[in-house]
Amino acid sequence: MSASFHQSVRRALSNPVLQEALDNNAARRKAGARRANATLDDPVAVRQHARAIRQTVLDDWEPMLARFIGACQANRIVVLQASSAEQACAHVLEIARRHDVRLVAKAKSMVSEEIHLNPYLERAGLKVVETDLGEFIVQLRGEPPAHIITPALHLRRQEVGRTFAEHLGMPYTEDVSAMTDVARRTLRQVFLTADMGISGVNLATADTGTLCLVTNEGNGRMVTTLPPVHVALMGIERLVPTVEDLAVILQLLPRNATGQILTSYVTLIQGPGKLAIADGSQHRYLILVDNGRRAMHATPLAEGLMCIRCGACLNACPVFQELGGHAYGSPYPGPIGSIVSPGLFGVAAFGHLAKASTLCGACQEACPIGIDIPRMLLHVRHQHFSGGGGRRYLRVGLRLFGWGATRPSLFAAAQRMAALATSLLARGKNWLRWLPPPANAWTGSRHFPPIATRSLHRRWRQTQGLARASTNGHPVDHAVLRPSDPEPAESPSPQDLCVQFTQALTAVSGEVIAVDPSQIFATLERLLPPDRGPGLYAGQAGAAPALVGELNRAGIEMLQGQWPAPSDSLNPERAAWGIVWAQAGLADSGTVVLPSSPVGTLTASLLPPTLAVILSQGDLHADFAAWLAAGGKAELKGSPMVVLVTGPSRTSDIEMTMTLGVHGPGRLIVLLTP
Amino acid sequence: MRVQLFATCLVDSLFPGVGEAVVAVLRACEVQVAFPLDQTCCGQPAFNAGDWGSSRKMARQTIEVLEATQDPVVIPSGSCAHMVRHGYLQLFADEPAWLARADQLASRTYELSQFLVDILGVQAWAGVPGGTCAYHPSCHLLRGMGIESQPLQLLESIPEMQVTRLEPDCCGFGGVFSVDQPELSSAMLARKLQAVHASQAARVIGCDVSCLMHIEGGLRKQGLDVRCAHLAQVLAGDGGGLR
Repeated sequence: MSASFHQSVRRALSNPVLQEALDNNAARRKAGARRANATLDDPVAVRQHARAIRQTVLDDWEPMLARFIGACQANRIVVLQASSAEQACAHVLEIARRHDVRLVAKAKSMVSEEIHLNPYLERAGLKVVETDLGEFIVQLRGEPPAHIITPALHLRRQEVGRTFAEHLGMPYTEDVSAMTDVARRTLRQVFLTADMGISGVNLATADTGTLCLVTNEGNGRMVTTLPPVHVALMGIERLVPTVEDLAVILQLLPRNATGQILTSYVTLIQGPGKLAIADGSQHRYLILVDNGRRAMHATPLAEGLMCIRCGACLNACPVFQELGGHAYGSPYPGPIGSIVSPGLFGVAAFGHLAKASTLCGACQEACPIGIDIPRMLLHVRHQHFSGGGGRRYLRVGLRLFGWGATRPSLFAAAQRMAALATSLLARGKNWLRWLPPPANAWTGSRHFPPIATRSLHRRWRQTQGLARASTNGHPVDHAVLRPSDPEPAESPSPQDLCVQFTQALTAVSGEVIAVDPSQIFATLERLLPPDRGPGLYAGQAGAAPALVGELNRAGIEMLQGQWPAPSDSLNPERAAWGIVWAQAGLADSGTVVLPSSPVGTLTASLLPPTLAVILSQGDLHADFAAWLAAGGKAELKGSPMVVLVTGPSRTSDIEMTMTLGVHGPGRLIVLLTP
Repeated sequence: MRVQLFATCLVDSLFPGVGEAVVAVLRACEVQVAFPLDQTCCGQPAFNAGDWGSSRKMARQTIEVLEATQDPVVIPSGSCAHMVRHGYLQLFADEPAWLARADQLASRTYELSQFLVDILGVQAWAGVPGGTCAYHPSCHLLRGMGIESQPLQLLESIPEMQVTRLEPDCCGFGGVFSVDQPELSSAMLARKLQAVHASQAARVIGCDVSCLMHIEGGLRKQGLDVRCAHLAQVLAGDGGGLR
C-alpha cells in the first residue's frame, strides 16, 4: 500500500466537511437512480441489452472504429488519432495554432483530465477556461475534480463563496443562485469570445458518425456551437454500433448518473455547420485517444472498457463514500477507477487502489452495464501481490497460513496453540480487547474472539460426529406460491403521449401549454413580461413569418438567431427570450428535438434566458428510439447537429443545490399545438 | 438426503457452536451430515488478498477433500460458498483440469439458507417463539450468491419474531481489508453499528460469521449489549450469541 494513499485516507476521514458532502452525495444519487430506473418498464432487460451493445464494441473493436472514423470523415469531421497523452495534447495545440487560437472554452471531459491537457495548453501560452460550473470552481481553486459527474462535490457553499469573492471580484455570498448567476455572466463572455471550444464525447455511433454529449448546464452546447473551432476528445472505446444502440444506452446513462430520465441537453453532432451563417462551429476536429486502451483490451481488465462513465459505482461504493475522489490520485476514482487506472496507467502505479475495497459488490449492482468490477479488483490485487506489493507482515502471514492450511494435522496443532495464546491474552474476558502489533490494527476499533479451545473438528471427533446435536425447532413445508405474470403493456394513444409528455416535462421544471395555432401570439404576449426586450426567433417557412410579423406589428423587436451575428444590432446576445419550432417531441422524457438550421435554431434556443418552443402534437413520439424509427434517423443524418432539450438548463454542482438557468435558458415553455 | 458440511475455518476455529447448530438444523430436516475431517480453509482470504499461489493450494486441498463423495456440499457462509462457486472458477481459469473439478464441485455447493429453502423446500421454521433481531444481509451472500429472501423467509417465519431488515450496506470487514485498511474498515463499521443501534434489536442475525464477528467486535468495543448470532443458531433455538 502506497504511503501517500494511506495519508489521503486519513485526511479524507478526518475532514468533516468532506464526510458530510459525501454522505449527502451517496444518499441523493442512490435514491435518484433508484427512482429513475423504476420508470423503465423492464430495467433488467434494458441493462442486459446495454451490456450486449457494449460487449460488441470489445468483440468487434477495430472494424467498428474504422467504420466510425469513415462515417466522421464523411460528415466532414477531421479525425486525428493519438496513441499517447502527449500526442493527443500535441494535436490540440497544433489545431489551436492553425486557427490562431488564444482563448479556449472547455466543457467537461474526463479524457482531457487524463491527458493533462490544460497545463499543456497553458504552458504554450493559451488561456483555457473550464465552463462546467463544478469544473470552473475547481479550476479557480487549482484542484482536480473530486467526482466524475460532480467535480466540486467536496466543497461547501461557503468555500465556493470565498473562491468567487477572491477570483471574480464579487462580494462574498452564500447564495447559490447568486454565485451561479455570476458564473453565468463571467462564462458567457468566454463563450462569445473563445476562439476554440473543447469538449469530450460521452458516446459515439459507428453507423452515423454521431458524437453524443450528455449535459445539463448548456456549456457543452455553447462550446460546440459558438466558437468557430470545436475539438472533441474521445477515448477510443466510447463507441456503440448504431444510433439505435445509442438510444438504449441513453435510457441508462442519465438515470444512473443524475437520476434524470434524460439530461437537459443531449447534443448529437454529425458535422460542422454547413453554411456561411453557421448554427454550430464551422470547424470540427475529433481526437481519438488510445493512451493505453488497446493494451488494456488484451488483459483481463478489458471489461472495464465497457464503462459509460455514469459514476453510479462511485455513488454506491461504501469506500468512496468515506474517501471522495481526490484520495484515489487518479482522474478515474472509485470502483471503476480502481480498474481503469491500473488498466491504463499500470498496476505498479495504481494497483494499490484495488485494495481499497471490501469486494462488497455494490459497484457491480449499481453499474447499468453490470461490469464485474469485483472480479477485476481481484485480478489487480493478484498482479499487485505478484509484483511484491502489499504489507510485509500480510504477505508473510498469508503464505504461512496457506502452508499450514494444506497440512490438516499441523493446522489443528496450530489452532490449539493459538487457543492457548489467546486465552492467556484474554485474561478471563470473553473477547480480546487488545492484540499486539500488527494485529492491533483490528483491536483498535473491535474486540476479537479468542480461538476456541475445542474446535469443531475436535468436538466432532470427541462426540461421535456431534451425535447429540439437536434443535429447539423444526422445518415446516408449505406449497410454493408463484406470482402471476405481469400483463403486457399496451401501445400508447396520441392523447397518452400528450399527457406523458406534459407530466415528464413538468416534472423537470418545464412548462407545457396546449394552444391552438391561432392563439400562439396571444399566448406569448400573455406569458412574456412587459419589459421583455427583443426576442430571438428561428423558424423556417410555414408558421414562423406569420408569427414574427404579428410580433413585430405589436412592437416586439424580433432578431434572427444567427451566430456570429451579421451586425451588432442583430446580436442575439441582446435577446431576452427566444422562440423556436421543434422537429419532434419525446413523450417519455418531455423532450423537444431541435435540429441545427440555416436560420439558427440552436443558437436561438441556447442564448436567451427564456425559451418558447412550438411543438405540434402530431410530432410526439414515445421515446428517442421511436423517433429514430419514425424517420428521425434520416433527419439526424442530414443535420450537422441535433439537440434533445429536456427542461431548463440546470446544475447541482454547488452542494447539490438545484439551480435553473446556468448557461442555457432557465425557463422553458413548450406550446403544444394540435 | 446426505450432505457434506464444509464448516469454514472461522467456524471451526472461532465459533464451533455455529457448526454444531448447523449440524442440528440439517438433522432436523432429516439430512445426514458428513464432516470430512481433512478440511481447513477454502483459500478465500489469500484469494482476496492477491496471493493466488497460496489460495490455489488451499483450493486444491478443499476440492480433493470434498470429492470424497458426490453429495451436496453445504457451507454456512455466503462468502465461502461464493468462493467455492465462483472464486475457484477465476482462480483456475488457466488450469483446465482443476477448472473442470472446481466446476463440478461448484455445481453441488450451497450456502446453508439456500440449501434449506431452495433444495429442501423448507418454507417456514417452527422455532423458539419471540424476540427481536436485525438481519444483516452480508455482501457476498446477497450480491455474490444472489441470496436475499431465503434467510429472511426462515427468520420471519419463526412465531412472534420481530425482524428488522438492515440496509444492504457493507459492514467494512472485507477479510484482510479489515487490518490492511483499519481506518476505512472502522468507519464503515461505525455506520453499521449506528444502524444496529437504531433498529433497537436485541440480536444481529446473519449468514456469515466473519461479518458477525466484525459487528459484534465493534458492539463489544463500544460497550453495547447487542450480540450477534448465525442464522443456524436461531433455527437451532439457541438464544445466545456467536459463542
